[in-house]
Amino acid sequence: MMTAFWETEGLQTLGIVVLVFASIKLLHLMGLISFSEDSVEDELELSAVRHRPEGLEQLEAQTRFSRKELQILYRGFKNECPSGVVNEETFKEIYSQFFPQGDASTYAHFLFNAFDTDHNGSVSFEDFVMGLSILLRGTVQEKLNWAFNLYDINKDGYITKEEMLDIMKAIYDMMGKCTYPMLKEETPRQHVEVFFQKMDKNKDGVVTIDEFIDCCQNDENIMRSMHLFESVL
Amino acid sequence: MAAGVAAWLPFARAAAIGWMPVASTPMPIPPQDRRKPQDGLIILNVSGTRFQTWRNTLERYPDTLLGSTERDFFFHEETNEYFFDRDPDIFRHILNFYRTGKLHYPRQECISAYDEELAFFGIIPEIIGDCCYEEYKDRRRENAERLQDDEDMDMSNDVTPVNLTFREYLWRAFENPHSSTLALVFYYVTGFFIAISVMANVVETVPCGTLPNRSKEISCGERYALAFFCLDTACVMIFTVEYLLRLIAAPSRYKFMKSVMSVIDVVAIMPYYIGLVMTDNDQLSGAFVTLRVFRVFRIFKFSRHSAGLRILGYTLKSCASELGFLLFSLTMAIIIFATVMFYAEKGSPASKFTSIPAAFWYTIVTMTTLGYGDMVPKTIVGKVFGSICSLSGVLVIALPVPVIVSNFSRIYHQSQRAEKRRAQRKTRLARIRAAKIRGTNAYMRYKQNGLLIDTLKEASKEAGRALIGKAANPPFESQHHHLLHCLEKTTNHEFVDEQTFQANCMEISAVHKSGSRSSSLSSSPHGLSSCCSRRHRKKNSFSLPSTNNQELSTIQIRERPVVNSRSSLNAKLDETMPLKCEEAYITPSMVSLSAPVMISSDGDGSTTTTAYSQSIVRVSAL
Repeated sequence: MMTAFWETEGLQTLGIVVLVFASIKLLHLMGLISFSEDSVEDELELSAVRHRPEGLEQLEAQTRFSRKELQILYRGFKNECPSGVVNEETFKEIYSQFFPQGDASTYAHFLFNAFDTDHNGSVSFEDFVMGLSILLRGTVQEKLNWAFNLYDINKDGYITKEEMLDIMKAIYDMMGKCTYPMLKEETPRQHVEVFFQKMDKNKDGVVTIDEFIDCCQNDENIMRSMHLFESVL
Repeated sequence: MAAGVAAWLPFARAAAIGWMPVASTPMPIPPQDRRKPQDGLIILNVSGTRFQTWRNTLERYPDTLLGSTERDFFFHEETNEYFFDRDPDIFRHILNFYRTGKLHYPRQECISAYDEELAFFGIIPEIIGDCCYEEYKDRRRENAERLQDDEDMDMSNDVTPVNLTFREYLWRAFENPHSSTLALVFYYVTGFFIAISVMANVVETVPCGTLPNRSKEISCGERYALAFFCLDTACVMIFTVEYLLRLIAAPSRYKFMKSVMSVIDVVAIMPYYIGLVMTDNDQLSGAFVTLRVFRVFRIFKFSRHSAGLRILGYTLKSCASELGFLLFSLTMAIIIFATVMFYAEKGSPASKFTSIPAAFWYTIVTMTTLGYGDMVPKTIVGKVFGSICSLSGVLVIALPVPVIVSNFSRIYHQSQRAEKRRAQRKTRLARIRAAKIRGTNAYMRYKQNGLLIDTLKEASKEAGRALIGKAANPPFESQHHHLLHCLEKTTNHEFVDEQTFQANCMEISAVHKSGSRSSSLSSSPHGLSSCCSRRHRKKNSFSLPSTNNQELSTIQIRERPVVNSRSSLNAKLDETMPLKCEEAYITPSMVSLSAPVMISSDGDGSTTTTAYSQSIVRVSAL
């Protein structure tokens, strides 16, 4: 008898507790009360960064492009990035469109770092056009410098095998899966070995800028290919 | 690749310098830029609205009109721009496609107009961007459905009864009660009998007073058993006959037997026959009584008579998933609450909640807010949970119902639209036909007018009217009429208007019945039907149906004195014979004329070509 009584009592208490919790949850859901202190919804990000490039004359002076070429470049740039700067995501997207078969995002990341000379996380039109000026209109020395800068991921003046391997893997990633002959796991590594054998004169495991430039200038293939893209614009 | 990104190709190529030191093999030679195209502005004048863009922008898509040399056809030297006589509003979107690489579909434009513009400018619609693609596809589908509907309507209503076999005729009568009066009568009779049968079933069970030697009330069915039996028999006979007729007339018997309506028909009449068979067996009479329940399915036969009922059925079928969800969620809730109520009320003495299944009844009654009151919770907890149960019941049931309602509404409106289109179709066709007749009448007038213009004699009042009309004829019209005239001359046939032609058809049938002539006439039943039904066909062949040329021509001449007078007055057409109205005169001349013609037209039944230099047989074409 008593147990039956306690059973009903217990069930009643349980019922009331459940009811109370349910009502609190309902109120919370309706937004009338909030629990945590920092439950402020995310404030809207500051409006998109807008950047206006320096004047045409200044850019003309700083780069080796003509006025018309700068106009064309800017129009294309602004079309794709109306806000005037490219962040890394957009950069990767744009670059990946040229390599639909593989994954170009890693290499795009390195490229981005190479273009973003002031390392502020975005590439403005000036950075863009400076980089292009070197690549398309610069001397061989400047181009090789730029390439070295690309490979040197941590910008310490030395290219280590690991850095080179990263770059190599990124390049091979762009190829994608369907290649002939089949891409094997150790292909990038082998390629890095070949590279280091050629470049690393004193066999200390790193390539310095002088070794790099020296070696490239002595290589006919590389010299010829440096002039390949001069008529691009 | 989006066009906008194409602007970054120089950058990507420049960045390729980063690969050079790593490469072990020499690079391929870059393609030579044949010429540096001048990046000039192009002016596109679309119906007065000037659009300007860079030449390079347009040349991004070389397989479209604007990107290829095809645009040179539209170059306007005087103003040094490209002129297109098209809709500027839609052109805006097309030009945006060149600029951004994304094609958008504006919602307020008509889908066919948009499609036409796309086709004109050589852009395939499949590249419409994701943002607008769904909308575009939906509109396109609706349009296609509308066209398909129209076509179906055309096809189904155009087959004239003459060509149908008896079976097809019967089937049409059944499916479309408005096709003939017999069908309509049948439709109403069956409807009446369905109603009678259902009412008889209902009234049968009403208590009807007591027999003198019994104290219990008996139902009407038992009291007037014979009358009800006769009524039932009559109804079932009608239904059986109808079912058998439908079965005979159905184009695909197997498909018909599988259809829902036929199953309902069978289920409606089966109990009667089964009852006939087993009247004397007491054991099975219990089952027989159960079978009588199925007689109520006769009420479903009304769905042939009511479109609304069919729509309801179709809606329920199409909302099967929502209904399933409703059922599932209800079942879940019922089980949960029944369990809770059972355990809550377990302690209370003399509680009706004896088991969980017993609690199901309470839960269902509460959740659907019926609240019979035969089972109520007595404990506080039970009451609390009972109230939660009724609140949640309201919510759970109210949620899927609007989905079903909106589905029903959509289907209903669709069928309304289809009905409206059907109703408007008649007026629409009449409009089209009137326009065509105006055209042919204009041509008739032109002919009379054009040939009379040489003479000042006004032989008929039509000429007078036509003369006045001639001055007002735009050059387009006169060129069109000249073209039709040339066609007449080529084929040695003439255009006539519809009344004349129909009169000819009747004449032909009259002549055929009188049965004179030769073998060529024997082919005229086909010719008759093809002749009269030709106006239903869509093809515009001018070949004569394989009837006798002579017959037609004689009749033709008799009907159109105007033609004769005109032709006699026309000095230019020296190849015409002077034809007069009298039949007797005509027939021999026709015979002599047509002899050479018949040779050439033997075999294919068309009277064109070779003889026309000698004579013209004026026969009705069209």
